[in-house]
Amino acid sequence: MTELSVRVTDLHIEFEVFSDRRAGLRQRLATQEGSGRRLIKAVNGVSFETRRGEAIGVIGSNGSGKSTLLSALAGLIKPTSGEILVSCEPKLLGVGAVLLNGATGIRNIRLGCLALGMSSEELDDRVAEIVEFTGLGEAIDRPLKTYSAGMRARLHFAISTAVQPEILLVDEALSVGDKEFRKKSRAKIESLLANAGTLFLVSHSTKQIERLCTRGLWLENGKLLADGPIADVIAQYGDDEYGADD
Amino acid sequence: MTVHDDPHPESDDQDQDQGLFSLDESVSSRAYVAEIWKRRDFALSLPIEELQSSHKDTLFGNIWHLGNPLLTAGVYYLVFGKLLQVSRGVDNFVVWLMIGVFTYQLTSGTIRGGASSVASRQGLMQSFRFPRAIVPISNMIGELLAFAFQLLVIVLCAFATGVGPSRRWFLLPVILLIHTAFNLGGSFIAARLNDGFRDIQQLIPFVLRLAMYASGVMFPLDRIIGRNDLVDWLVRLNPIASLINFYRWMILGTELNVATSALAVVESLLILWFGFRFFKVAEYRYGQP
Repeated sequence: MTELSVRVTDLHIEFEVFSDRRAGLRQRLATQEGSGRRLIKAVNGVSFETRRGEAIGVIGSNGSGKSTLLSALAGLIKPTSGEILVSCEPKLLGVGAVLLNGATGIRNIRLGCLALGMSSEELDDRVAEIVEFTGLGEAIDRPLKTYSAGMRARLHFAISTAVQPEILLVDEALSVGDKEFRKKSRAKIESLLANAGTLFLVSHSTKQIERLCTRGLWLENGKLLADGPIADVIAQYGDDEYGADD
Repeated sequence: MTVHDDPHPESDDQDQDQGLFSLDESVSSRAYVAEIWKRRDFALSLPIEELQSSHKDTLFGNIWHLGNPLLTAGVYYLVFGKLLQVSRGVDNFVVWLMIGVFTYQLTSGTIRGGASSVASRQGLMQSFRFPRAIVPISNMIGELLAFAFQLLVIVLCAFATGVGPSRRWFLLPVILLIHTAFNLGGSFIAARLNDGFRDIQQLIPFVLRLAMYASGVMFPLDRIIGRNDLVDWLVRLNPIASLINFYRWMILGTELNVATSALAVVESLLILWFGFRFFKVAEYRYGQP
C-alpha cells in the first residue's frame, strides 16, 4: 500500500459574505442580523484520503465548492472546522493567480518562484529552463498586461511546476493554451505522477479529467456526492441533472 | 505558517507514521521569522519591481525618483527661503524643513502603505502561500528605497547651504534602524486593524496629519510647548518627534534631548514587538475573500 499524501477529515469551510441589500447603520449596530452578512457554507463536511501517485479529478457545477476545497488544501484558506493533513506543502496552480501586471514575463517568473520559496541561487540556475518551458519566446520580455489568457496560463503553469511539488493542485488552468502546450503540460503532470506525486485537477471538461485522472470526487453544494474510479464518478455525474451539459 | 520541511512534531502517533502534518497550525514567532528570512529575496524583489515600473510611462523614467524630491526641495527653497523668508527661529530653515518633511513622509508613507498593502495584495496572497508579514515588510522596503533618494537630496542641499559632513553621520544606520522599527511596527498594527475594519483606512490620514503637527515637522516644537500640560506630555511621549530630531541633530547639529531620545528608542522597539505579534495573530485572515 502506497503512502498517504492527503487526509481530509470532516472539512467545513464557511464564508461570511455581504449580500446586496445592506441595512441602515442604526439597524446594523442594533442587531447582527441587519448587517447584510450571510454565511455561505462552501465546503460542508467533506472527508477523503489520497495516496501518492493518484490523480484526482474534482467535478461539480459552478459554485459547488471545488475551488474552495483546493484553496484549503493549499493552505490558503483556514478550515472553519475539520482537519487537513498533508505529506508535503501542496502548490496551487490557478488561472486567477495574480502577479505584477506591469512587469515583464521573466520578472514575474522570478517573483513567482521566489514567492513559492525558491532561493535566488536556485532560481538563477533554473530560470532559463522555466522560460524555455513556457514557450513564450520573445514575449517573455513584454509586460504581463500585454499577454493573452493562454499566455498567462503558460506562465502560471511554468511557475507552479518549477518547484516540482509533490502535491499539485490545478484549478481550471489547463483548459487554456494551445495544443502543443497542452501536450507539454500533460507530460509534466505525468512525470509528477510517475515520481509518486499527487494531482488534484478541477475542470469543467470531464473529457480532460477522464484523460488525466484515475479517481474522481464529485462535489455539489459543498458536499461530497461521489468518490471512486473516475469513469464511475463521471457516469454518475452525467446521469445527474446537475451535469447535464458537460 | 508552518515550516513545511519538517512534519509537525506534535501531531498524533498515527499521523506521524504516515508523515502527515497540518498547514494551518500557528507557529512560534521564531519559526515565523525564519520563514520570512527564507523568502527575503521575495520581500526585496517585490518593491524593487514596483519601483522600477512605477515611472515607466514617463519620458525620464527612473530619474523621477530623484527628480521628485529635488523639485520638492526647490519649492521649499523658493517659498520659504526666498518669498516668505521665514526662519521660525531656526538656522538653515529650508534644510531643517526638508528633513522634517521627508523623514515624516517615510513614517506616514510606510504606515499608510502598510495598511493598504494587505488589501491590495489580496491576489498575490490568494495565489501563493508565504508569511503574510512579507506584505507590509516589502512595502516598508519600498518606502525606504524612495527615502534613500530623498536623503541624498537632503545631503546635497545641506552641502549647498554650507553644512559640512561630520562624524555624527556615521550614526545614520542606527538612526534608520530605529526609525524603521517604529515604522514597521506601526505598519503591522495599521495593516491588521485595516483588515478587520476597512473603515480604518479613512481615518489613518487624519491621525497621521494630527501626528504631523505634534511631531515638529513644519515648526519647532517649543512653539506649542508650555501652554497645556496634556499637549506637553503628548509631545514628549511622541517618538516621531524624537526620530525626526535624530536626523536634524545628525545633519544640522541641533540640540538632542537625551531623555526623550532614549524614550523614543524604547518606544520604537516596543511598537515593533507589539506590532509583529498583533499582526501575526490574524495571519490566516489576510487576503481572504
